[in-house]
Amino acid sequence: MAGDWGSTTGLLLAVTALAPLVVLLAGRLRPRLAAPAAIVPATVALLLLGWIGGRGGAAVDVAWAPSWGVSLALTPDPLGILYGSLAAGVGLLVLLYAAAYMPRHLLHEGRPPHDGVPFWASMSGFLAAMVWLALAQDLVLLFVCWDVTAVASYFLIGFDRQHPAARRAAIMALLVTGVSAILFLVGALWLGSTYGTMRIGELAGLLEPGAATTAALACIVVAALAKSAQAPFHFWLPRAMAAPTPVSAYLHSAAMVAAGVYLLARVYPLLVAAPALLDALVVVGFASMAVGGVLALANDELKRLLAYSTIAQYGYVVVLLGLDPAIGPGAAAFAVVAHAVAKSGLFLTAGAVTEATGEKLLGRVGGLWRSHPVLALASGVCAAGLAALPLTGGFFKDELFFKAALDRGPLVTALALAGAALSFGYAARFWAGIFLGRSGPAETRPLPVLLVAPIAALAIAVLLVGVAPGGLSSLAEAAGAVSTGVRLPVEVAYHLDARPENLLALASFGGGAVLALAASRRGEIGPALADALGRFGPERFYVAMLQGLNHLSDAVHRFEVRDLRSRVAWILMPAGVLMLAGVAATPTAGAYLPGSFSRADVPLLLVLGVAAVAAVAVAVPTNHLAVVLLLSGVGYALTVVFALVGAPDVALVAVLMETLFALLFLGVLAALPRSVLGRLARSRSPTAIRHRDVALGILAGGFAFVAAWGVLSRPAALETVATLQIELTPTAHAGDVVTAILADFRGLDTMGEISVIGVALLGLMTLLRRERAR
Amino acid sequence: VTTVLTQTVARLLFLPAMAVAAATLVKGYVDTGDGFAAGVIAALAVLLQVVVFGVDEVARRLPLHTAPAAAAAGLLLALAVTFGPTLFGRAPLTHAPAPGERVIHFGTLEVLTAVAFDVGVFLLVLGFAVTSIRLLAEAGRGRPR
Repeated sequence: MAGDWGSTTGLLLAVTALAPLVVLLAGRLRPRLAAPAAIVPATVALLLLGWIGGRGGAAVDVAWAPSWGVSLALTPDPLGILYGSLAAGVGLLVLLYAAAYMPRHLLHEGRPPHDGVPFWASMSGFLAAMVWLALAQDLVLLFVCWDVTAVASYFLIGFDRQHPAARRAAIMALLVTGVSAILFLVGALWLGSTYGTMRIGELAGLLEPGAATTAALACIVVAALAKSAQAPFHFWLPRAMAAPTPVSAYLHSAAMVAAGVYLLARVYPLLVAAPALLDALVVVGFASMAVGGVLALANDELKRLLAYSTIAQYGYVVVLLGLDPAIGPGAAAFAVVAHAVAKSGLFLTAGAVTEATGEKLLGRVGGLWRSHPVLALASGVCAAGLAALPLTGGFFKDELFFKAALDRGPLVTALALAGAALSFGYAARFWAGIFLGRSGPAETRPLPVLLVAPIAALAIAVLLVGVAPGGLSSLAEAAGAVSTGVRLPVEVAYHLDARPENLLALASFGGGAVLALAASRRGEIGPALADALGRFGPERFYVAMLQGLNHLSDAVHRFEVRDLRSRVAWILMPAGVLMLAGVAATPTAGAYLPGSFSRADVPLLLVLGVAAVAAVAVAVPTNHLAVVLLLSGVGYALTVVFALVGAPDVALVAVLMETLFALLFLGVLAALPRSVLGRLARSRSPTAIRHRDVALGILAGGFAFVAAWGVLSRPAALETVATLQIELTPTAHAGDVVTAILADFRGLDTMGEISVIGVALLGLMTLLRRERAR
Repeated sequence: VTTVLTQTVARLLFLPAMAVAAATLVKGYVDTGDGFAAGVIAALAVLLQVVVFGVDEVARRLPLHTAPAAAAAGLLLALAVTFGPTLFGRAPLTHAPAPGERVIHFGTLEVLTAVAFDVGVFLLVLGFAVTSIRLLAEAGRGRPR
């Protein structure tokens, strides 16, 4: 495989990756330009994906870090095209919807229009990360794209940052998906270092079954399941509904959660080496279907209901991937698309309903079909797709699911039937609760076209797949072939006979209708159930863990801040004791020489004397101002020493730093209230502590003296690193050794050090700003 | 304590100090001094103004509030020089032009990526120091003396 950026694929990758920057620039010029700047690249990306899907596209393969075996390997294979088109297609419709939604949303929240720019930038960044993720063939590249989606989702979920719930939800989503992403990296590096390649295609041929392989793959699987909000990591998804509706419609139906099952499909060739993991997938999938399905039936909040149903629906897909390899991957690809299209339509419906009525609870709306017939029809089709009714794409999703379950025996079939009945139940409850029934809110606002048209477009897509499933099923077949290596048919068709799949479908409709009716009658059970799960579910562990970390951080903080001198003592004492041990262990004969003395050394000695006097004077208690001046006196004296021994670079930096440091120190003193300074200067430590401080000072100083004397007594080494660096300096086009070392030979050290300065600056700004806000 | 004399001296010193900083920066690769020292010299020049004229007066004349952005830009520039080469499959901080290649000169200024790295350090140090000066000066302003 070889390729570069000059292909259609390269163009696609470049367009998506540059889109967020264009959005930011356009938004800076005019906030209104941000939306089109995000929509146009999404359209281009979708068209390019269609083009590549039809004609085929070259792979992009650029060496990235060859010494680590990492490359930018992106191939537009059918699996990538399927997920990439899903991300770009649903993304485009959601962006169109958001063009009408976001201005209203900002208005409701009382925020200025330019606050919307980060939304558009994050959305198109998310879209870019999804497209790259879909095409990536290299585990490290997959991880990078994976993390970009997590970071973008953080900003999107926490978009309404003035609401504490949104901030908590954002950090929760970031922690759950981000921490599990580290597991992904661990698994990837583990496999990569064992087998010497990061490419999934090459790894698949090399992988040997065994405990280590299973453990490494398990890391990857856990990350995928957390991203797809599968039990027991599902709790972040309902919380994430604090995000604006377009974010939920995109991330939580077609993108973020789809990334998890996409990863499973992508690494499927590796998972075959660990059959136990595939069985685990079945268990996790059914557990998620149960948890998500029941809670979706019970929940009364529009978007939360949908979030729980998403958990259940991705449970379907995970089960499919874990079942028969002959049907699984292809059927999973089909189910993901069928679900994502219908589900984003329903999320958008929830947003439109809230926009029209101002209500967010199912119990507060009803009978909306009278005022909004088009919306009712479009979202009815989407709900039918979720409920797997015939003539929608969802029907085939269930057909494939039942077929795979029937192969596995009666228990799995029964579970599958229950899951399907649940999905019919919550889909029916959602739609009927909004649009049917007698009473609704007294008055509703009319909706702009852009808030309804994307839903209608999604509904048409649902119907198209339901009437003519051939196109999607052949794409799903090809995508499944990427996972399994063999092209196995994804057979979807209507059969008007009494075959088991049809009977199961009918049974699920009946059971679902009963469930929906029961749920609408007994509204009391739902909140109680949700409450119980919240109290005993895995979210409890998450909260406990977070609180534990907070307590730990507080304890460390208190310990550090309470007593600076104790902390310094804790460093000086071991240093002194270790030095003592070192001196005791080495032979001292000839190690400590007084050295020679000539008249030329007199200035140096004088300066050192000044430094010593100033250092001793610092220890004599006086006021703070004197201490600062004496300290900088020590510094200036040492600067002169550097200058005398021929180190002008060091001397220059030292004198500058001393000056700056002394002045800043004085500034800090000026910033402190005089009363505090006076109290501190008058206060005396207890005698025991003062004796301890004196003893420690003598210990540390004495041994530093011994160590320095010992080092200076040795003859200077003839050949050192420094000699080499001096020789190399001209080849680095440099005249100054010190600068060449800083910027070239040891440049990575400098990079690390200046990063510390950057972090320190952030800390300083945060501290002083907060102080001022008080 | 600020007299006409100190004010005049401070005003007169500002531009020469900045020129010295710039010279230290661009000549750093062939002579004593580097981006770090240049950043501190420039920061000291600003600090002198703040001490003499007060932070509010200086903030009116100089764009002090852009200092954090300068620090961020410097860090990004240094990061780009450091990790840019990895995009082309080279080790981090592989400088261009490579040893033995010809160097482009502007007068006596040599155009090297290492100099760009040093400029990053300069911006970061300057931004850091100026921000600390401003924040400390503002923190000290409102206190009872």
